[in-house]
Amino acid sequence: MRLGAGFKKVLVVTAAVLLGAGGWLLGNCGPFTDVAADVFCPFVLEIFYLGITTGTTATTYDPSGNVTRLQMAAFLSRSVDGVLKRGSRRAAGEQFWTTGNETVLGVTTLPFGANLVKSDGADLWVANSSRATVTRVRASDGKILETWTGATSAFGVLSAIGSIFSTGRTNPGAVYRIDPSQPAGVVTTVASSVGVNTGGIAFDGARIWTANSNSVSIVTPGASTPWSVTTVTAGFAGPNGAIFDGGNIWVTDGDTIKKLDSSGAILLTVTSSATEPMFPAYDGSNIWVPNFIGGTVDVIRASSGARLATLTGNGLFGAISASFDGQRVVVTDQANGGVSLWKAADLSPIGFFSTGAGSNPYGAASDGLNFWLTLQGTNGVTSALARF
Amino acid sequence: MKGKAVLRIRAILFLFGAVLLSGSTGLLSALCGPFTDVSDAAFCPFVLEIFYLGITTGTTATTYDPTGNVTRLQMAAFLSRTVDGALKRGGRRASLDQFWTTQNATVLGVTTVGNDPELLASDGADVWVACSGNSLVARVRSSDGRLLETWTGAISAHDVLSAMGRVIVTGYTSPGQLYQIDPTQAAGAVTTVASNLGNRPDGIVFDGTRVWTANILGGSVSIVTPGPSLPWTVTTVTAGFTSPMGAVFDGANVWVTDYNAGKLFKLDGSGSILQTVTVDGLAANPVFDGSNIWVPCGGNSSVFVVRASSGAILATLIENGLNDSIGAAFDGQRVLVTNLGGDSVSLWKAADLTAIGTFATGTGSAPVGAASDGVNFWVALSGTAKLARF
Repeated sequence: MRLGAGFKKVLVVTAAVLLGAGGWLLGNCGPFTDVAADVFCPFVLEIFYLGITTGTTATTYDPSGNVTRLQMAAFLSRSVDGVLKRGSRRAAGEQFWTTGNETVLGVTTLPFGANLVKSDGADLWVANSSRATVTRVRASDGKILETWTGATSAFGVLSAIGSIFSTGRTNPGAVYRIDPSQPAGVVTTVASSVGVNTGGIAFDGARIWTANSNSVSIVTPGASTPWSVTTVTAGFAGPNGAIFDGGNIWVTDGDTIKKLDSSGAILLTVTSSATEPMFPAYDGSNIWVPNFIGGTVDVIRASSGARLATLTGNGLFGAISASFDGQRVVVTDQANGGVSLWKAADLSPIGFFSTGAGSNPYGAASDGLNFWLTLQGTNGVTSALARF
Repeated sequence: MKGKAVLRIRAILFLFGAVLLSGSTGLLSALCGPFTDVSDAAFCPFVLEIFYLGITTGTTATTYDPTGNVTRLQMAAFLSRTVDGALKRGGRRASLDQFWTTQNATVLGVTTVGNDPELLASDGADVWVACSGNSLVARVRSSDGRLLETWTGAISAHDVLSAMGRVIVTGYTSPGQLYQIDPTQAAGAVTTVASNLGNRPDGIVFDGTRVWTANILGGSVSIVTPGPSLPWTVTTVTAGFTSPMGAVFDGANVWVTDYNAGKLFKLDGSGSILQTVTVDGLAANPVFDGSNIWVPCGGNSSVFVVRASSGAILATLIENGLNDSIGAAFDGQRVLVTNLGGDSVSLWKAADLTAIGTFATGTGSAPVGAASDGVNFWVALSGTAKLARF
């Protein structure tokens, strides 16, 4: 038989694996005595090695048994968890830790006035209202690369269209644009007629949406500036944050979160568990809405608007911004001086972590490897961007 | 007859193409993609997704058997294919069209660093390599392999950690040193943050609050608490250790390998041994894949795969070119182990522990440390003073 040599080698390896595992001498398939060493064995072993199954006993898998819906839930849940944990940038970076306290934050000191932050995949962009600047910080090492000026009352940040956008919290509001491929200089004002006190900013793939103190503005990018602006006021009390779920824009507003159609009309109003919902995050299924007054986080199913859970405790007191990194959601808590962390898939709390007395955490973003938090500070001189 | 057969095949191909082109609605008799027995429109997209993803093939080419039960054996296949598909598609390698495995030393991307490059770490954008021969730490840009800068004064630089926005390096001296680099600053001399670690610190790891080093000479583990002023506080624990070499954090506990004792120890928060797993001698630098710890052992040229949650040995991997195995890295899908004695690296699919193969890194290359940035593995070739992109 020409196959002999190769087959023998396979046998040797199998025997060695079984011997190496100690008590598996009887197993046909890894530790399992009741699974044949056939084409299905590698599948069984994979879910065993991944921790998706433990077997029905240490040496049996019960291959012909049926699966109840309850058992299926466990198998699917473990599969999702395993994939997300292994597939994240954190795994390849051997970064399985959670930053424990303020001493081990990686801190980049910025001038006082930092507001919201966003990642472009490599760098972080921080809006600073006091200095009218947008600062670019390299994620890999936290170095300040450049500072763009002229962004009066810079507040929210968006990375889209190969550009960086910032909202100007002015009256009327403004949208500024940065071409990050150019040397740092003065931002370009692409719209100066958006609603009053522009805050949150989102992109739907074609247009930029801003949440303003009494309206929502829709900005359409064009070949020349200024870009056209449509402002919708009907039904809005005081929008704060804006987010796109892949289908619709949602804005936090008063004591509600509202789902909008493409013209800004309100499709659905979900009442918050507390008041002043701030800057939400979308995790691919659900929207996490931090409530500043009342200190809760509402988890809303984007597809239906159903409130899946109201999260309390876990350090929450005055929640501001949420961010999702693929596995976890972080919420900044300005009042308690720290961040609350949850496992996004099952909403279980991971803990509350101090960012330091007087740190005043505000904005949050993720680059897939770290969370980045703006610490507004209280000394009137400096604020900071912290790697969490 | 031959012509008729060809025509018939063409007709079938045409029909098949028409079916595919017209999507799920134009199928002559199929209700849901190729499946004639799936009629529930609400469930059809789910069935089609797992068909298109290769998670199911159907019970035949045209049937799915929607009301049939699933045995645990069949379920294993579905779940295993689901995990594989999600990891393969979700990885950074997929979006960069990088589905290859580097096959040989000729196609390695190499960067000359300092002498005796040992261990290394990625900060997500750059790779930092400890080069003990010149007591320096080299910073190499992942995207293009360019040597960006070298940091000096890191006497006997050995292992590297990227954490807290800084780069922390062990000095393989007695007593041991710990160096810090602020990567936002212009390259210069490293800062010594502690100089009273146990003798010859080798592996280094972070638990979210403190830095741990495994000290091989005399046998100890040092726990270093970063603080606002220097030096940082060091607590060194010796009980139960012979010669700790590698360290890994699994999200809850620090584990260290004991090189000469051939052990893997699970530690509590104060460095006491919670659990001892017996592996092979010359247990070196381990890696955690999110579920399991992979421990390369040079003594018998083996790799032990240990479940972190229980400490159970899941498998002992041999062959696949293992030869004086010393370093390991995980990229989200694959585990790479360096073979110091074999001038090669060995690869496995991490999910099912199947061997992918052994790949030469060049005669005399003596690979030691390995790391991943999620796109490439990076291997320190101590024999040729190079960092290799694998």
